[in-house]
Amino acid sequence: MTSVSAATSSPLPASEPLDETPPIGEKRAPSVDPVARPSQRPKKKRTGALDMKRLETLIEGRKASLCVDAVSVSFDGFRAINDLTLILDAGELRCLIGPNGAGKTTLMDIITGKTAPDEGSVYLVGHGRDLIGLSEYEISRLGICRKFQRPTVFHGHSVWENLELAIAGNRGVWHALFGKLSGDQKTRIEEALETIKLTDVRNRTAGELAHGQKQWLEIGMLLVQNPRVLLVDEPVAGMTHAETDRTAELLNSLAGERTVVVVEHDMEFVRKIAKKVTVLHQGSVLAEGTLDEVQAHPRVIEVYLGAPTPHA
Amino acid sequence: MSTATEILTRMHSRRGWIGVGVLALIGLVLLPLLNTALPPTSPLHLADHVVTLLGKFCCFAITAVALDLIWGFCGILSLGHGVFFALGGYAMGMYLMRAMQGMGVYRSQLPDFMVFLDWKELPWFWLGFDNFFFALAMVVVVPGLLAYAFGYFAFRSRIKGVYFSIITQALTYALMLLFFRNDTGLGGNNGLTDFKHIYGYSLALPSTKLALFVLSVLTLILTYLACRYIVTAKVGRVLRAVRDAESRLMFCGYDSKQYKLFVWVFSAVLCGIAGALYVPQVGIINPSELQPSNSIEMAIWTAVGGRGTLLGAALGALVVNGAKSFFTGALPELWLYILGAMFILTTLFMPQGIVGAIQIAMANRKAKLATPTPTVPAAPTEAA
Repeated sequence: MTSVSAATSSPLPASEPLDETPPIGEKRAPSVDPVARPSQRPKKKRTGALDMKRLETLIEGRKASLCVDAVSVSFDGFRAINDLTLILDAGELRCLIGPNGAGKTTLMDIITGKTAPDEGSVYLVGHGRDLIGLSEYEISRLGICRKFQRPTVFHGHSVWENLELAIAGNRGVWHALFGKLSGDQKTRIEEALETIKLTDVRNRTAGELAHGQKQWLEIGMLLVQNPRVLLVDEPVAGMTHAETDRTAELLNSLAGERTVVVVEHDMEFVRKIAKKVTVLHQGSVLAEGTLDEVQAHPRVIEVYLGAPTPHA
Repeated sequence: MSTATEILTRMHSRRGWIGVGVLALIGLVLLPLLNTALPPTSPLHLADHVVTLLGKFCCFAITAVALDLIWGFCGILSLGHGVFFALGGYAMGMYLMRAMQGMGVYRSQLPDFMVFLDWKELPWFWLGFDNFFFALAMVVVVPGLLAYAFGYFAFRSRIKGVYFSIITQALTYALMLLFFRNDTGLGGNNGLTDFKHIYGYSLALPSTKLALFVLSVLTLILTYLACRYIVTAKVGRVLRAVRDAESRLMFCGYDSKQYKLFVWVFSAVLCGIAGALYVPQVGIINPSELQPSNSIEMAIWTAVGGRGTLLGAALGALVVNGAKSFFTGALPELWLYILGAMFILTTLFMPQGIVGAIQIAMANRKAKLATPTPTVPAAPTEAA
């Protein structure tokens, strides 16, 4: 999808194309509005069962991997996420941008099971149920992994132990009591250490690492988890230029096999990595397209700069 | 599966194992020899009452190690471990009461307090306690089940930190009130006492006392090794991750409540065993063991000795209880002040406890030798 779509405050459904000409290569089912407002839909009881029909409508004609379907959540009356629909294609690298309070981190909280939404569903394509209602660890085991805004590694553990804890495999108590890393797992940790350039400090305590190294360690922890969908919150905050470049390279190399979602404020960085950008505003999708497209979008300019624009 | 040698080297360095071996020899061979082989007139002779006292300390040390496993390594501060200790103790006490049928004051088949209350038959939950091995099973099962039920709901509701501690205090208080009632059928205020035999051996005999002491030492060593195994296995690293960054761990795909539940139940079972060893040595179990202050005292043993060191917890239990025995004899009215002072001074000047402070000092010395420049105190390593 390369169209620039809009707008929450308009009475139109959120992703009705703003411009009349549909972009090339875009197929859209004309008769169905995939993002009908919840009020227009019969309220669905949360059973955890997968509404196949709805999912098919949502992902029609695309190679989707994760669908966020009409999700809303309020905190004390404040609607942090407002009827948000977002479809991520398999193997794409998507940037999420938006002003503070747009709901970027809350969206990640919902996808990863930290926050339960009031309405809506999250589907992982190929998995037979709604992710809402699953706990954090269950969602993580399905292959949706997350890097936090501030580097969150296990500070008291060594670099190696951090990766050992993160690595995909049996995570039960019994295995942790009597099990052992397989040779394959060890190789994967070694490879991840190479990728994140921490081989030399593998026995150092993670708390002693420099800020950028911690960021990388956390990315490494995602790598060994072998995820299908990577959610990365502000990966280059506090990094030097060189480190930022390497991170961009790393994230780009991850996309393709995996779906990568990056939340970032640094527009220069976004330009480096993003093919497609989604702009969030007040808990909804404001615009979606290439970076140039969204930057030219009048509502985006209005939201970011506060400039009054004539309404379309 | 790891090989045995791998596990042993993981648990301790060569020097560490030698240390464990020396301590085991002192407890299992030297002290019993001082008690039996030397004549009572010898200055090195270990009197029978001292043997029993040391046995009691060993039970406390087991409790402290069990508490350290959940507090020091998993960040769960229980102020209700007295519950599990007492339940283990009561299970053993019930057996000891049944083992003296017909030998009580009233020469009845029922325990004395039941005769006193004019009960005609044994309540259902006393059935089976005639059997020593059934009682031993209950020593493990009863604390384990209660811990499982309590932990299941607490951890599922994600109750943490000080809230968890307060609830454990409430638990021990509630149980104390329950056990104080005569209708509960466990001797009420007086508890269970006046025991005569254990497994056919008279509790009055010095040899029985010595055997109980040796058993306590052995249990302490096994407890330490089991906990040491846990904290050096992957499960220990997961537990430390629960303590440091639980939500990160869940995003790594770990069901942290399973780990907490495992270590919580394990710790409770260890406490139950300690309680069961304690009762035949002191000869009484009553609801005062369930006082909230008792459980807090257990936390103080662990804090004074050094949290997250296991060995420190055992040492703390010995030091604090040694001081208690001395001061309650010498200056009885001052003991609580001294206990409070010990706790405050430790918190202020040795936040890592005795063993933690020693580890920091050793790490500093090592660092000083390695580099001439002054270094930041290193975090205590968990080696002991």
